[in-house]
Amino acid sequence: MRRFLLLVMTALLMIAALPAAAFAQETPVVQGTETLADVALAVDTMWVIVAALLVLFMQAGFAMLEVGFSRMKNVGSVVAKILAMMGIGIVVFWAVGFAFTFGAGNAIIGTQGFFLSGDEATYAGLSWTAVPVSAKFLFQVAFALVSLAIVWGTMLERTKFAVYCIFAVVFAGLIYPIVGHWIWGGGWLSEFGMQDFAGSTVVHLSGAMAALAGTLLLGPRIGKYDDAGNPQTIPGHNMPLAVLGVIILWVGWWGFNPGSTMAAVGQSIGDIALTTNLAAGAGVLGAMIMSYLVKRNIDVGMAGNGAIAALVAITAACAFVAPWAAIVIGFIAGVIMYTVLLLVDKIGVDDPLGAIAAHGMGGIWGTLSTGLFATPELVEATGFGQPGLLYGGGFGQLGVQALGIVACGGFVFVTSYAVFAVLKATIGLRVKPEHELDGLDISEHGVYGYSEQLIATDYQNGSGSSMPIPEGRTTQGTAS
Amino acid sequence: MEQRLLAQGTGTNNTINVYPDRVEIRTGWDNENANSLGLKQIANVSIRGLVNCTLTIEVNDGRRLNVERMALPDARQVKAAIEAQKQKAGLYE
Repeated sequence: MRRFLLLVMTALLMIAALPAAAFAQETPVVQGTETLADVALAVDTMWVIVAALLVLFMQAGFAMLEVGFSRMKNVGSVVAKILAMMGIGIVVFWAVGFAFTFGAGNAIIGTQGFFLSGDEATYAGLSWTAVPVSAKFLFQVAFALVSLAIVWGTMLERTKFAVYCIFAVVFAGLIYPIVGHWIWGGGWLSEFGMQDFAGSTVVHLSGAMAALAGTLLLGPRIGKYDDAGNPQTIPGHNMPLAVLGVIILWVGWWGFNPGSTMAAVGQSIGDIALTTNLAAGAGVLGAMIMSYLVKRNIDVGMAGNGAIAALVAITAACAFVAPWAAIVIGFIAGVIMYTVLLLVDKIGVDDPLGAIAAHGMGGIWGTLSTGLFATPELVEATGFGQPGLLYGGGFGQLGVQALGIVACGGFVFVTSYAVFAVLKATIGLRVKPEHELDGLDISEHGVYGYSEQLIATDYQNGSGSSMPIPEGRTTQGTAS
Repeated sequence: MEQRLLAQGTGTNNTINVYPDRVEIRTGWDNENANSLGLKQIANVSIRGLVNCTLTIEVNDGRRLNVERMALPDARQVKAAIEAQKQKAGLYE
């Protein structure tokens, strides 16, 4: 029997080797720099596409996270909003956003290459990587969609669908691209040497500032504060889904941070993945410890938010810091997130997801931490800015990082506030109270997210309702 | 007592519903606490602000009830609905 298996395996190996042998006879051995460069470009392009796919998949993470933290009556609106935002974001960023961000222009905004019509030279902000423009666009649009998704986490369960759509056009088409151009597209902050490797400020702080502006104008959900103004907990309906969302986001960050090299050959993607994951783990621990110290229990949702805050924080620093520093950055991010979340709740800002704390404070801390922990070797390797304060780099880099936070955060907050204010004064931001109480699934989309369960409880099934059960339907669902 | 809802809006931590014969300002987890005012009790309704509007209802007994940080379209709709109902009932001179 063993001999037979050995024969079969040998035969299979020979069959597998045959095409390669034939191909090797026909094709000359790879020689010369041109062919090697082609192979390297193909590998780089493949890496960028895979990374873009991972970042795009983060939308599923946001969907599950938001669904988990929402009440059952609103889950359909959450996923509808995510889908709509992906559609609007990708088209608008293709039309104008990519050109504003990376197109050649001035220190404030790109002015060339609309509708992806430019070549490598047009998108000067990304000329440091040789992958095709289409791959660059796919990777960058996934980032813009992440920033957009962050905006809506705080505005769940009460916002009009039209508001999402209108603001998405402005945010993906103008606000995000301007900040992106300042730091990544050759704008004035990049000339100062600001270090934001994968977007703690560009992506996360921008999203969080827009979210804060929107939430301040929107107001809290009905029932969030009692008559004395004390915050009430409105628990999400499905913690496993929320944690699944966190884990999908964590996996997506493998594309977010290491993918920001936008090349695989000769890049330290392994090191960046390492710092990213160490920080995330430390963030979970930081948030869990805080939860235990404050409430004497381990809050699962907060542990997930700790991971997200840490991932956000390490996003700026991932290519500049040592592994031990990543753990420190992640742990502190988890602690800061928890503290800020409690504060935000107390001052009357209703943030169901904790996005302002996780993405906003995580983004601020992460951007500052680069100015503290950036090592001279890694700064030299990446070619951005100066080493951090703890490595003798002085306060120069820390100052640039702080300037970037104030400028970008301030710009996004003010412009977003203006857009939301115009929307509030014209069409209004909130759904009617009746619709909010009934749930947005029905009022905005005409279907339940969980049809069977909610239809069963709507009709007479011992819940006290006097509505008759429609013919053909039982309390357990539709009769066969 | 349930009747057709004519207009409604949300302010900070409370909502306002206008029915043909009364106005309710509601608070609570599920909007369960209602402060009801008959149309006859309402002396005047005014709006302040453009973005974060304050809807003020002046009651005959001297109270002024504010619904704060409303959207302008909602505040206008509520004000118009109250005034239209009072007009219809002949409660304005």
